[in-house]
Amino acid sequence: MNRYFREISVTIALGLILLAMAVLAPGFFQPQPLLSLVTREAPTLVVACGMALIIISRQIDISVGSQFSVCSICAGLLAARGWPLGLVVPAAAAIGALLGACNGMLVAGLRLPSIVVTLATMVILRQGLNLVQQGAFVNLPDSVQWFGLSQAAGQWTLVGLALALLLVFGLAMRRVAAGRWVYAVGTDAEAARLAGIRAQLVTFMVFVLMGTLAGIAATMNIVQSPQVQPAVGSGLELKVIAAVVVGGVAISGGRGNVWGAFAGLLLLACVSPALTHLHIEAYWEKTIQGAIILLAVVAEGLRQRKSKGGRE
Amino acid sequence: MSTTDHQSGWKNILLRYETLLLAVLVVEWLFFYHYGTTTNRRGVFVGFGTLDRQFDILRHSCEIGLLALALTPVILTAGIDLSVGSLLGLCAILFGKLWRDGGLTIPVAAALTLVAGALGGGLNAGLITVLRLPPLIVTLGTYSLFRGLAEAITHGAVTYTDFPASFLFLGQERWLGLPTQAWLFLPVAAAVWLLVHGTATGRSLRAIGFSPEGARYAGLPVERRVALVYVLSGFIAAVAALIYTARLGQAKADAGTGYELFAITAVVLGGTSIFGGRGSVTGTLLGVAAIAVLKSGLATLPVVIRLNAAEEMSGMLTGALLLLALTGSILPKILSTLRARRQAG
Amino acid sequence: MNPSIRRLGAILVLLGSLVPALAAEAKLMITMMPKAKGNAYFISCKAGADKAARELGVELLFDGPTDSNAAKQNEIVENWITLGVDVITVAAENKEGISTALRKAQKQGIKVITYDADALPDVRSFFVNQATPQGIAYGLLDEAARLMGGEGEFAIITATLTAGNQREWLKHMDVRLAEKYPKMKLVAVRPSDDLKDKAQSEATALMSANPNLKLLMAICTPGTPGAAEAVKQAGKTGKVKVIGLGLPNENKRYVHEGVTESVMLWNTEDLGYLTVCAAVALAKDEIKLGATSITAGALGTFEIKGDNILLGKPYIFNQANIDRFDF
Repeated sequence: MNRYFREISVTIALGLILLAMAVLAPGFFQPQPLLSLVTREAPTLVVACGMALIIISRQIDISVGSQFSVCSICAGLLAARGWPLGLVVPAAAAIGALLGACNGMLVAGLRLPSIVVTLATMVILRQGLNLVQQGAFVNLPDSVQWFGLSQAAGQWTLVGLALALLLVFGLAMRRVAAGRWVYAVGTDAEAARLAGIRAQLVTFMVFVLMGTLAGIAATMNIVQSPQVQPAVGSGLELKVIAAVVVGGVAISGGRGNVWGAFAGLLLLACVSPALTHLHIEAYWEKTIQGAIILLAVVAEGLRQRKSKGGRE
Repeated sequence: MSTTDHQSGWKNILLRYETLLLAVLVVEWLFFYHYGTTTNRRGVFVGFGTLDRQFDILRHSCEIGLLALALTPVILTAGIDLSVGSLLGLCAILFGKLWRDGGLTIPVAAALTLVAGALGGGLNAGLITVLRLPPLIVTLGTYSLFRGLAEAITHGAVTYTDFPASFLFLGQERWLGLPTQAWLFLPVAAAVWLLVHGTATGRSLRAIGFSPEGARYAGLPVERRVALVYVLSGFIAAVAALIYTARLGQAKADAGTGYELFAITAVVLGGTSIFGGRGSVTGTLLGVAAIAVLKSGLATLPVVIRLNAAEEMSGMLTGALLLLALTGSILPKILSTLRARRQAG
Repeated sequence: MNPSIRRLGAILVLLGSLVPALAAEAKLMITMMPKAKGNAYFISCKAGADKAARELGVELLFDGPTDSNAAKQNEIVENWITLGVDVITVAAENKEGISTALRKAQKQGIKVITYDADALPDVRSFFVNQATPQGIAYGLLDEAARLMGGEGEFAIITATLTAGNQREWLKHMDVRLAEKYPKMKLVAVRPSDDLKDKAQSEATALMSANPNLKLLMAICTPGTPGAAEAVKQAGKTGKVKVIGLGLPNENKRYVHEGVTESVMLWNTEDLGYLTVCAAVALAKDEIKLGATSITAGALGTFEIKGDNILLGKPYIFNQANIDRFDF
């Protein structure tokens, strides 16, 4: 119980909100709008999985939003040139992997602090995209939308894909050696190194993985709309970091899992539609999201204080 | 090798880094002075070399500069404050509301705004020190919270304008030859410099940044010191909010969006280590100036304007400069590791 | 002398005389600033503006923020002042925000025209008005009333809660509602941040929160296809009607599928064209305050009312006519 306290408490919080909605505004639970909601959040979930790994390995990546935009625009341009989706998805993933590798080289290779490195690459990628694209939208051919499937089938495919990735990471982090290495490096890089784990390589690979996932998520996003906007993905980094942290991944590394990140994301994503159903004005949204983040960390802080009488 | 030798070695490197940054700044300035100053097609003498433009640079750097000053002590303690930009927005809104809807005079409203800023910083401080929560996460939460409150107060729609000319004087006019806000910026800069470099408190901040445990064992009041820097950060964000409102003549819920990133960039470019313990206020000021000159200078090059690239290029170059500075800052570390190895071998 | 050499000499002399003439007759430099430069609405404005610039032989610079941002608009105006352009035309994101910079431009003798969204009246010579706020508000609301039979619930999706022109339209709609359609109820106004995705999720939430909703009205161009996509996905085609401002190309698909009933807009290409024509006329002192009309190249004559140059009435696109337009 104690070990999964955060994951469980976030799930309970989510359950309470859903329960409140069931009592106050049962209209919230119509299947169609809910499917729309999870479809829209599916790409975010994929990015959140990557971010969970990054934070578990005691790093951070602020540039994911920019990576997401660059991949979206590249994927959109390729699709508009008539590339089939079977090629566009791997291409976007490869571009993402390349961007992630740049971060990884600077962080793992030169041992620079990830928060500053990714702050710099965030600005460079975003402004570079603006320079090249001048803010213009990319129009997509009809065949791209929903993978060329019917609307309903396309939505289920996206949700299924995101959940499949979640499942893979959820299991791999526990049962595969590489997953445990990430925890080891995040807990204590020096100890991990002494135990024979190539800590810098693990860090590098985690960043490459983050980029790859951002690329896949970008294609999962563009199929939902006939146009790609270059501004897509701005602010994504903070949304995803918030979801991961609310879900119990410790910013000091080595603790948490993707299931918690999933619950955290759902919790934050529910706020906006819940407000609409409760007929509360839209401008309260950010305040409530901020309050949820603070509540989650305060709960954690209080618990640690009680159990250990202070962390350090 | 004795400890004092080691420290003076660090000091030398710091000095060298700041000198280097100053050199970069001078080169930058001369470059833009040469290529960015022209008589334009209307026959008006314009561009980087005009006094107006130089004052504009000063004016624009006051807000980011204040936030960077606020962040320097925070980062010295190995902390971070992501909420300064949002707090700037919230304070601007509060000021507008107190003045217009609350019917208070400008000085009273301003004083209350400063108190509110300190309280906002106090919220961060409380969560970080009392509950021992990581600053990154706490301030990520208040980043959302403060901005959200600003939007909630204004319903996202109200813009406070029509401030009296006596208040706008602070942001748009000159006093004793300099843009008025510079007279507010300079004392704050001097105060923060004194705090960090001239007092025992400042030294303890660095000690906390190096090792909070060590500082605690050494008998330093770690919690009190850490709380102080976050409260100070909130207070300075409120000062920046007043200047911002006076410069633009309006207070809107989106004021200061993204400023936290500029400010952090300036501090790190100024040579302060993001891991805490090492850094200087002088470096921060030079970092702010380097970014401001780059941004403003690029916007005076006709080629860049015609390419619609001023904003984009200044962003990309700032990012590149930051990476370069980082790589440069680890060079001495690599060199000393190599030297140590050679000595050991 | 060899005739071919003589001819060459003549050509050289001719060219030589042209060079100083060209230098003296420097092209007029006109600038155009959108609220956001990637927005399809403004891209089609630019298409018209480019056409006018070619026909009139002037240089056109087109730049704006990538997202709707008043402070960045200011910076770009400053840059143009540095360049010393002849006329600045702006679609202002925020009335007060842009006016200080425009005032400075005017002080240096640069002429200023606003289009699409006005700044304060004293910082510009003319406003190219695509339609009066009242005309837009009443037009949309009357169309909504027609579709709803004058009663029931409807909701509005706006760009941002802060955008000046949107607030003004809403004000006029409130007046009209109270006066003429007391049985219609506006249940919610939601912002979409000028993003189609956000508009779609807002529309989805609005429909499930308000089961009796009869109509969604989007008063920003990305909002209309966003709302239509939401209605389509919810399987409520025909049950919840969609109307709004929008470009024909973005909405054709939905109009033909019967999701979107009608789209209202002025001709945005003409707006860009007329703005550049007005800018050139102003630079050449061909129009002054008090003029009652302006001739804009191929488009003919437009009425000037006070300091507003009127583009004409907004146009309603529906299944019958939408295929005739391509912008």
